[in-house]
This record gives sequence, C-alpha cells and structure tokens, in this order.
Amino acid sequence: MPNIVCCFKWVVDEAYIKPSSSGKIDLEWAEYKLSDYDRNAIEEAVQLQERYGGNVTAVTVASSDATKGIKDALSRGPEKAYFINDDQFENLEPSQTSAILAKVIGNQIDYDLIICGEGSSDMYSQQVGPRLAEKLGIPCIAFVNQLSIEDKRIIAERKTDDGVEVISASLPVLVTVLPDINSPRVPGLKDTLAASKKPVIEIDLEDLGVEYERLLIDEGLRAASLERNCTQFGDGPEDIKAFAEAIRKTGVIDRG
Amino acid sequence: MSGVWIYADKYEQGLELLTAGRGLADMLGMKLTALVSGDINRAQDFITRGADEVLLLPPLAENQPVQDYVPIMADEARDADPDVFLIAASLKGKEMAARIAARLDTALCSESSLMNIDDNGKLRMERLMYGGAAIQTVSISSRPQMATIPPRSYEAAQIQSDRQGSIKTLTLPEPSGMQVMERKGKDQASGDIITARIIVCAGRGIENQEDLAMVRELAEILGGEVACTRPISEEKHWMTEESCIGLSAKEVKPALYLGIGVSGQIQHVVGIREAGIICAVNSDENAPIFESADYGITGDLYQIIPALIEEFKK
Ligand SMILES: Cc1cc2nc3c(=O)[nH]c(=O)nc-3n(C[C@H](O)[C@H](O)[C@H](O)COP(=O)(O)OP(=O)(O)OC[C@H]3O[C@@H](n4cnc5c(N)ncnc54)[C@H](O)[C@@H]3O)c2cc1C
Repeated sequence: MPNIVCCFKWVVDEAYIKPSSSGKIDLEWAEYKLSDYDRNAIEEAVQLQERYGGNVTAVTVASSDATKGIKDALSRGPEKAYFINDDQFENLEPSQTSAILAKVIGNQIDYDLIICGEGSSDMYSQQVGPRLAEKLGIPCIAFVNQLSIEDKRIIAERKTDDGVEVISASLPVLVTVLPDINSPRVPGLKDTLAASKKPVIEIDLEDLGVEYERLLIDEGLRAASLERNCTQFGDGPEDIKAFAEAIRKTGVIDRG
Repeated sequence: MSGVWIYADKYEQGLELLTAGRGLADMLGMKLTALVSGDINRAQDFITRGADEVLLLPPLAENQPVQDYVPIMADEARDADPDVFLIAASLKGKEMAARIAARLDTALCSESSLMNIDDNGKLRMERLMYGGAAIQTVSISSRPQMATIPPRSYEAAQIQSDRQGSIKTLTLPEPSGMQVMERKGKDQASGDIITARIIVCAGRGIENQEDLAMVRELAEILGGEVACTRPISEEKHWMTEESCIGLSAKEVKPALYLGIGVSGQIQHVVGIREAGIICAVNSDENAPIFESADYGITGDLYQIIPALIEEFKK
C-alpha cells in the first residue's frame, strides 16, 4: 500500500494584486490561498489512497504565516502534515524550496509516490517538482493528467507538446499534475474541524542544520499594466448596434 | 571554460535558440554550443545556422523518453562549465531544464521573456509572476546561468554560407527505467490562433458544448478563429489546448479579440495583452475582463451573440 506525499504552497491570491500608482505591487491587502494546482495534487493523493490504501502526508515549506494553509491542506483529506517553517523561508526560490523538501522528505518520510502541482499560482516556475525528484534521485513524470498504480509501478499519462505519452516507471516516483487530472473537493465544516485534530510535525531552519543560499537573485518587481479604457454598452438593440459599429470603425474587420 | 549552450527537444525551437544563443555568444565574445539530437546532417545544419560546436545526442530507443538525456546533458555541462545554458520552454524542455539545474546546483529562470547583459557580463532576465500581474527581473549568482525560452520569442536562424564548427558525438545514456508505453498525437487543430487576425474566445459563461456553434458562427462571419479559456479546454474538453489562450497556453496578437463569457482572470488576459482591440461580452458588470477591454457589453451572451451575428451579417 503506497505511502503518498503531496507538496503544496500557500500563496498570495493574485486576484487581490493591484498595481499601485507608482507601478509597484501592493501586497498589503492581499489574501492568501492554497495554490490552485496543489489542490489537484492533494486531491489526487487522497483519491489514490481511496483506491489503493496506504497513507497521505502533506508537506509545505513556508514562513510561519502559512499556518492557515496547513489547516486548509489537511481539511482536504491527508492524515498528517509536515510544516517546514521559518521566518527566513519568505520568498524562497525553487532551488531552495526543493533542497529543503528533499532534505525532510528524504530523511524523515516514507514515500512511494510524491505528487506536486505542475506549478504554483504565484511564481509558476514549474521547477520544484522536477528538482525535488533529482535531489531524491527518483524518476520524475511531469504534467500528468491521469495516474494509476499497478504492481509497484506507476502508469501515468502525461501531456507533451505533441499530444500525450503513457509512461510506466517503478516506484518510488515523483509526478507533477495538471489541473484537469481531477476536480478538487471543497472541504466542508466537518472536514475543517477534523483537520485541526490531525498531527502536524513542525521543522525549522535549525532542525534542518543547513542553510540554503539564494541563487536566483531578485533584481526588481514592477506591475504589468493590462488596463485599458473600456467603453461600456448595455444589452439593448441600440447598444448592440453601437457596439458593433464601434468595432467596425476601428477598421479591424476585413469583411462586413 | 566559457560558452553559451542551447538545447531544444524540437527542431523549430532549436533554430530559435540558435538566434538567441548566437546573439548572447557574440555579445559575450564566447563560443555557441548546441546540444542536438539526431544525425550528423542535423548537427551540420546547426553549424551552418550559427553553432560553433554541436554535441550530438545519439537517438534513443523507441520506448525511451527524451528526458533520458538529462544525466548526460548535466554531466557534459558540469565538465565544460558554460556561462549560459538556454533550453526551449516546451513541456519536456521545462522539466529537463529544472532537472539539469538541480543536478548542477544552479538557478533557472523559467520562461524568460527578455534577456539583457549587464556591465559585468551577467544575464538580467525578466519573467512574469502573479499570473502575469507583475514582471520580475532576476539574475543568477551560480553557474551556468540557466533559462527556459518560450517558443516564438526569436526568429529561426537562417543558413549562412561557409560556417565551420566541430561536432562531438556523446555516448548513449543509460536507460532510466522509465518507459514510454504509448504516444498519442493530438487531434488536428482547426485553425491557428497564433496567426489569426481576429479571435472570438469562448469562456465558461457558455453553458453547453452545442452553444459553441454560435461562437463559431460569429467567428466565421468576422473572418476569425475560435479560441478558448483554460476551463473550456482543460476541464470541459470542448476544445483542444491548441485553442487555449493564456499564461499556461498560448499568447496571441490578433487585431481584434472578442471574449464571450470570459471573466478575464489575469492568467488569461496576459495572453492577449498585445491584442489590438479587446472586446468583451459578460453578464457581470464587475467582471475583470472589462478593465482590460476597449469595448464591452454587459449582458447575457445568449441574447447578445445572436444579435451580434445578425448585426455583423449586414
Ligand atoms: C497557474 C495558473 C495558470 C493559468 N493559466 C491559464 C491560461 O493559460 N489560460 C486561461 O484561460 N486560464 C488560465 N488559468 C485559469 C484562470 O485563472 C481562470 O480560472 C480562467 O481563465 C477562467 O476562465 P473563464 O473566464 O472561461 O471562466 P470563469 O472565470 O468561470 O468566467 C466565466 C464568466 O462568464 C460570465 N458569464 C456567465 N454566464 C454568462 C452569460 N449567460 N452571459 C454572459 N456572461 C456570462 C461570468 O460572469 C464570468 O465572468 C490559470 C490559472 C492558474 C492558477
């Protein structure tokens, strides 16, 4: 029965990101959320456990602000969580996150299958899963949209630029999953209550005993303005006519 | 040792990286090395188009994934210690780049949209973050400086006369034990949204698959192509991912974009920021798409689209 580990990230909800007048990004009012595709990673872990038995452990590396994220993740079904947190773990870059995850997962957790989202909603670097696999020295199958386990082997269908490939590899394996692999459940009140009773193992920088240097250097951030000045029309017949006329006037339509 | 290295798992993107890599190599006064899979003719082709050296990756067995090249690519890079290593940001390329970077203990800038060289000869790169709401500038303090480059960021390198270069054939990697059991091509996409002048984009506001016919009809009358948002391609599977616009799909530059039942989340809108005119039909007057649009109609698409079809038929 497989030991399944799923990794997740607690991220700024980009819907709250608004450029300030100076062109900087204002995060003061930002809300946080469980990164979208990590919900699929957790869901897949839980669904596989429902099919094959075993257990599911959720792991995150974060600053201590992510306590809410632990609860959110546990309310989606995993039975325990590793919360690797330290105030120095703010804005880690992928080489750091993956090295820290590898250290903890490699030394402290029994795993047959590790599931990550294909990329996080905030950085979307799509690196942590593949890097983690390398650090652990196990096969990596990225961009998976279908998974099953047969005789200690994983059968995964993954997306490529040309279509799909069905891959088989013996466990342990790391996969990164696409959003279409499943529909993440929406936790109910009962799940949230149950989550607060589940064990959480906390690990900090001192416990790790190693510092992880930042190699990707942040040289600045600016807002990407996508705003345009919208002329609004209603839904009456005259409005629709005027809307069509406005488009025609721009000269972008060849015919008509 | 110094140098600029490139690798693409697809030929066309290899030619684009030749242009990117040649430019950097010339600015830095370095050699350009291309990792190429295929035969001697392919290697020669890369040399005529700008490479100084080709490291030839021998063909893999039919059931071996291209990712099996990762160990030898990393080993070669460790030995040669290049300054820059660019990899095409195909799905396979993104995975391979991250794994090679992990083996080399170096940083990787994912999907770099702009590369400059600073006074110290270091790369400064830009990339999107927060779904496209922000642009981050990064540099890399380790070696090699790695980046993945999105398709179509550079022109394909052309054949030049009398270019010389060396070719070194690498040894076939050990099979990783990962097996490709089956490969399935994708359904032939109808039209190409990358080159389309007019795009009508279907969003989740469309309730049934049959209703796409209405969107198609409107696109046809306007002489354009139909595209979609990620939920339409990835969740509902009503259209292929070839037709999807956005951060994790395609970036398009039509003269006219018309979004139907598209909410306009940043990850989608970032894919149309270069569009000439952006129009939207949405029943929610507070839908974010209106902030990124030039013309908008607030209303029920089931009423508006048939009316627009009539209107544009005239
Ligand atoms: C890392 C990451 C990458 C992503 N990449 C992409 C990407 O590449 N491309 C992409 O598209 N998305 C991407 N997304 C998803 C994106 O955040 C949005 O979820 C998605 O774009 C929403 O699609 P939508 O507008 O079709 O659906 P919804 O957000 O559900 O919007 C539907 C809209 O239709 C309107 N509507 C409903 N009924 C009607 C009606 N009868 N008449 C008129 N209007 C109606 C509603 O008001 C609503 O605004 C990504 C997300 C993440 C986290």
